[in-house]
Amino acid sequence: MSQSVATEPRRAEAARWVSTGARLVLGGVLVVAGALKAIDPQSSVAAVDAYELLPAPVATVVGWGLPFAEIALGSLLLAGIATRVVAAATAVLLVIFIIAVASAAARGLSIDCGCFGGGGQVPPGETAYGTELVRDAGLLLLAAWLVWKPQSRFALDRSPQ
Amino acid sequence: MNSPKNLNARERARLAAEQAAARKRDRRILIAVVAAFVLVVVVAGIGFQAWRAYRSPSAIPSSSVSAIPVTISNGQPIVLGTSRAPTTITLYEDFHCPHCADFEEQFGPIITQAQESGAAHLELYPMSFIDEGSAAAANAMACATEAGFGPAFYRGLFANHTLQWSDQQLIELAAKIGGSPSEAFQTCVTNKAHADWVSSVNAAAEKNGIVQTPTMLINGKSVDIANLTPDALMAMITNATQR
Repeated sequence: MSQSVATEPRRAEAARWVSTGARLVLGGVLVVAGALKAIDPQSSVAAVDAYELLPAPVATVVGWGLPFAEIALGSLLLAGIATRVVAAATAVLLVIFIIAVASAAARGLSIDCGCFGGGGQVPPGETAYGTELVRDAGLLLLAAWLVWKPQSRFALDRSPQ
Repeated sequence: MNSPKNLNARERARLAAEQAAARKRDRRILIAVVAAFVLVVVVAGIGFQAWRAYRSPSAIPSSSVSAIPVTISNGQPIVLGTSRAPTTITLYEDFHCPHCADFEEQFGPIITQAQESGAAHLELYPMSFIDEGSAAAANAMACATEAGFGPAFYRGLFANHTLQWSDQQLIELAAKIGGSPSEAFQTCVTNKAHADWVSSVNAAAEKNGIVQTPTMLINGKSVDIANLTPDALMAMITNATQR
């Protein structure tokens, strides 16, 4: 009994540190990915176009707007504001990315995911769908952890109760 | 019996329910605020990118490359500089490809200088695989070449490569380069008069086995752009010219 009283707070403390790491990694990746795309909007639009999923005008709006969504969500995560809500939104975004990349692979397109700028056609055999999917799945795991345990250190979120 | 104990229990349940409702309301407000924040950032971002894409082109420094009107023929590149020049520099570029703009910034002045000195002339294949703007720019490039201000227009296109290239922007660019553009040039741009030529250039590039832009050949020999320095390019042109 006395043991569980001692381990409970320690476990919660460890979880908070894990959440801190998850928040900073996920937020950092989002901000960097968004910024790299935002500085080169033409490539960003071309990268969205290359998936052949959206009509041209929609692809333009997504290519222009998506990087800023990533920057906004990433900044909120870095600051630790509304972590659970933002992590849930990020998870949804990542699921969309995973579906898009998987569909590109399934349709036999040879494109770069354009996750960190660039994107568009690549020579057949130079695709990296496996790596891209594993990376997105890893980030999705971090987002899911944060939905489960949003409490973390160095966050602007209020402490529980 | 309403004992104080019972009252307390009921009171506590009521308080707990109230707190739960308050938490739910807080959560809903939080979601709305986050959604509104992200939306504002995204809309502002789209507005910013639209402004960057559709603003007016900036002027470029003038050059003295001879700019005689040149005829455009299907499948054939645009020739800039005197065709009597001993060296031929062949370039495959897309006016919207970022690497092409980088290439132009680094090596463009050397290529321009080689044209001015009469050492080399440029065979240009303006490809258009990135977007509609690529094709519009390629078409306008052909119009400008016909009208006799091809070299300056070429540099203007790359100096403003982040623009979308609407018809209006292309006409504005021509105005900034060489005074008010002729009626014929404007019609050529708005009617996409060289649309067939634009497709024929893409087809020719594919036939020539071009898989990436920029691709450069000097006297028909492919140049490794990834490891190229301005000095090395200058030496290559000099060597090619002396041979």
